[in-house]
Amino acid sequence: MSSLVKPLVEVHNLVKNFPANHGQFVHAVNNVSFTLEKGETLGIVGESGCGKSSMGRTILKIHEPTSGKIIFDGDDITNYSRHQMLPYRKRMQMIFQDPYASLNPRFTVGEIIEEPMIIHKMGTEKERKIIVQNLIETVGLKPDHIRRYPHEFSGGQRQRIGIARTLALRPEFIVCDEPISALDVSIQAQIINLLEKLQKERGFSYLFIAHDLEMVHHISHKIGVMYLGNMVEYGFSDDVYKHPLHPYTKALISAAPIADPILSREKQRIILEGEVPSPLNPPKGCPFAGRCKYVTKQCKKEMPKHYEYDGRKVACNIYAPENLEKYSQVGKTPEQAVFE
Amino acid sequence: MEEKLFRKLREDEKNDEFNAIESRTFLQSVWKDFVGNKRAIVGSIVLIIIVLLAIFGPMFCKYTYDEQNMSLRNASPSMDHWFGTDKMGRDIFVRVLFGARISLLVGFVAALINLIIGTIYGGIAGYVGGKIDMIMMRIVDIIYSVPSMLYIVLIMLIFGASVTSIMIGISITCWIDMARIVRQEVKSLKEQEFTMAAFVLGASGPRILIKHLLINTMGPIIVTITLMVPQAIFTEAWLSFLGVGISAPLASWGTLAQDARELIQVYPMQTVYPMIAICITIFSFNFIGEGLEKALDPKKKR
Amino acid sequence: MSLLEINHLTTEFKTAQGVVKAVRGIHYRVNKGEVLGIVGESGSGKSVGMLSLMGLLASNGTVTSGEILFDGEDISPVNYTTKKEKKEYQKKMQKIRGNDISMIFQDPMSYLNPIVTIGKQMTEGILYHTKCSKKEAETRAVELMKMVGIPAPESRLKQYPFEFSGGMRQRIIIAIALACNPKLIIADEPTTALDVTVQAQILDLLRNITKESDAGVIIITHDLGVVASLCDRISIMYGGDIMEEGTVNEIFYEAKHPYTKGLLNSIANSQVDHREPLKPIPGTPPDLIKLKDECPFAARCSEAMEICTKYNPLTTKFSDTHSCKCWMHCKDRYKEVVKGDEAHE
Repeated sequence: MSSLVKPLVEVHNLVKNFPANHGQFVHAVNNVSFTLEKGETLGIVGESGCGKSSMGRTILKIHEPTSGKIIFDGDDITNYSRHQMLPYRKRMQMIFQDPYASLNPRFTVGEIIEEPMIIHKMGTEKERKIIVQNLIETVGLKPDHIRRYPHEFSGGQRQRIGIARTLALRPEFIVCDEPISALDVSIQAQIINLLEKLQKERGFSYLFIAHDLEMVHHISHKIGVMYLGNMVEYGFSDDVYKHPLHPYTKALISAAPIADPILSREKQRIILEGEVPSPLNPPKGCPFAGRCKYVTKQCKKEMPKHYEYDGRKVACNIYAPENLEKYSQVGKTPEQAVFE
Repeated sequence: MEEKLFRKLREDEKNDEFNAIESRTFLQSVWKDFVGNKRAIVGSIVLIIIVLLAIFGPMFCKYTYDEQNMSLRNASPSMDHWFGTDKMGRDIFVRVLFGARISLLVGFVAALINLIIGTIYGGIAGYVGGKIDMIMMRIVDIIYSVPSMLYIVLIMLIFGASVTSIMIGISITCWIDMARIVRQEVKSLKEQEFTMAAFVLGASGPRILIKHLLINTMGPIIVTITLMVPQAIFTEAWLSFLGVGISAPLASWGTLAQDARELIQVYPMQTVYPMIAICITIFSFNFIGEGLEKALDPKKKR
Repeated sequence: MSLLEINHLTTEFKTAQGVVKAVRGIHYRVNKGEVLGIVGESGSGKSVGMLSLMGLLASNGTVTSGEILFDGEDISPVNYTTKKEKKEYQKKMQKIRGNDISMIFQDPMSYLNPIVTIGKQMTEGILYHTKCSKKEAETRAVELMKMVGIPAPESRLKQYPFEFSGGMRQRIIIAIALACNPKLIIADEPTTALDVTVQAQILDLLRNITKESDAGVIIITHDLGVVASLCDRISIMYGGDIMEEGTVNEIFYEAKHPYTKGLLNSIANSQVDHREPLKPIPGTPPDLIKLKDECPFAARCSEAMEICTKYNPLTTKFSDTHSCKCWMHCKDRYKEVVKGDEAHE
């Protein structure tokens, strides 16, 4: 990460609350920051309700952010109106989770892929038809599929149609909201490969949201781990995956089933007790405090800051400078001092 | 031989030709389901005949709807007068055909207004949501809370009894059901990912509403309309029967029944003809509506 | 003797488009205390096979042939043809379901009745299948809830499903399934709807239960990770047929069928270099209506041969437990299938 290159997407202290009944708020996204360079993939993992989808949607301004800043290619788009966003829509796109719900059932495949170009008044009708033809082939479908309707296709093929629609605008940044979780195992890899190929050819930046850790690790350069609206750990993919720092990340990674019987038997699993608290009424301190083995009084009092440690950001008091000092006084790393 | 059987296939020889379910457009599949429904077909054919008769029938008859023949009053059916004549010596067959014009006109106009106002109003309320939706729906509640008969009677008082005032009266309230249905549908479709996709692509509000939301609401809209038509015909007949509808010599099925009522004990058949006409029409609309409802059901297997 | 033995099971569905052969002549065998994993993608027939066994097929589905031996008794619906006999069959299955064989479903919320208390739903099955008082049934329910790790079970008996979280609901489902000490437990995607950390809790629970009881367990899933950690033996299904079966190690380390290999290659494995591109299986799953008597995987197979598009392969045994259905491994026996002109050509 060279600091000379201007990042494509910067998100600073993003907060998104949704109003709920009785004047309460669902705290979906809480103080999330990250940067994404050109051609890079940031994987976001977390369990359902952790706010990862809400975050992706807020960045694309489907939801208006409550506070914080979204900067795209140097422009602060946080408070842009729908009209002001129009030119940015060409550059920031989204791939959806449910290939059955994300395509209008009354449109033919050709119409679906052509629509973004009509909206942005790109090219003549003839030119658009040619582009549609090309895109259909780019995503691995056949030209005669153009006149068919989405319901005639399988899930993987529909996801390809959705990708082709996104490509019609030649975007630079794409939010992939669980693009493979509704697909069969043998099809998931097809879509992942297609996304990777497109990234290589066209230099896309992805925000890849998923709960499948292995896939996120595979496709991402950086990973952000979310828990109850907070990004508890954020760093390079291999670092986070192989040497997780936050107790939640540790549990999450150890809990993922591995498709290998011997490794699976040998694997030390951290089985978390209990379940995620409600985002309607999140705990005052660290959101993970209620399930964490290493919880201290400090954790329950206030939300830990994002500490820099080992080239990553981690929101856990174990890595607070004063605690690190204590460990080093006894000549131990936090790993040895706390987790063993 | 063995070599041939165990020859490795080239990529292009593999039969991975796209596993399409039988390829049919949406309208084709709706059409096929509709045509497969016997009752719906019978209903459609009967309705077409009624409409044709209403438009062209009176042209080919010997008599006009208001031609009186005082020497031949309350005649029984004969070769000259198929349904006989009424107390003024007018040919009942022609009058029933002519009545169909007004009855159907009221029905179709009500349906059209229902379609336009109901869809736009419900669509906007559902799509915009929030406070505007709240206000729009409260307005609907207020309109709905006054019995529709009251509007009609009031309008009759102001504009006088005519076909137009009946149509205005019916139209005031008839679109409300449609607006509610459309709003509900649009609200649930709005949460679907394809709407979100259109938003992210930069589509404008009207485009999303029309191209993505209303187009997918087509099914319920069409069904509501087909059920709206007989309801309007019924209301008109009912009003005319009460005597607040159009007046002689104009005829609708309701007024025909009303005119014949005085003589019901002597010439009961005079009441029966318009009633049969109403029954047949309403039956065919209901059959068509039912057929469309089944054919357009989004939950049926794709 | 095996606890469950299924031979030549074929199930068909009548649809508007034509007859769908969802399961085409499959074999299963489950012993006491053994965990069998059935792996397949959507449309592979993995769930339909189990529903056929339980007599829970939708009204347009029929078992057209096959033998289902459960605990030595044939419970295949094939033998019941007349209306009266069919009723008899349903009655018999009702006694078996929930008592001898119980099922754990994917979506706990739709399985539990939202307006009936958990206590009532738990005791219902116990009261139906065993002769005991309400009090005893409740004691049993509390015992079961403790077993599946639900804290303070006595107080939770009176609560409704919505007061439980997803993981807790799945625990309740498991407790209900265990209520009558079944001989066979069938779990259909038991953890698919759950989050990773909760999934780990439930898998841990299932692992303990299978270890402790001597019931046979069948786990239906699409997740190779789940079977790797839980099962003794695995059957890989595709297009309504079993492609390969074997012990966990045989399937994961000595896979013979191109589909199994493809499946294992297409998942990201961090133990290997994760930057290496994945190797997906090309194409899309087959349309079961169009599928004739050929290898269902032929159209997507990298090794496909001419014979694969015409004849269904024979079963080849590699060991007592390991077998697979692929022409690559039974080339020498082709004359058993290819008859007439083509063989003598």
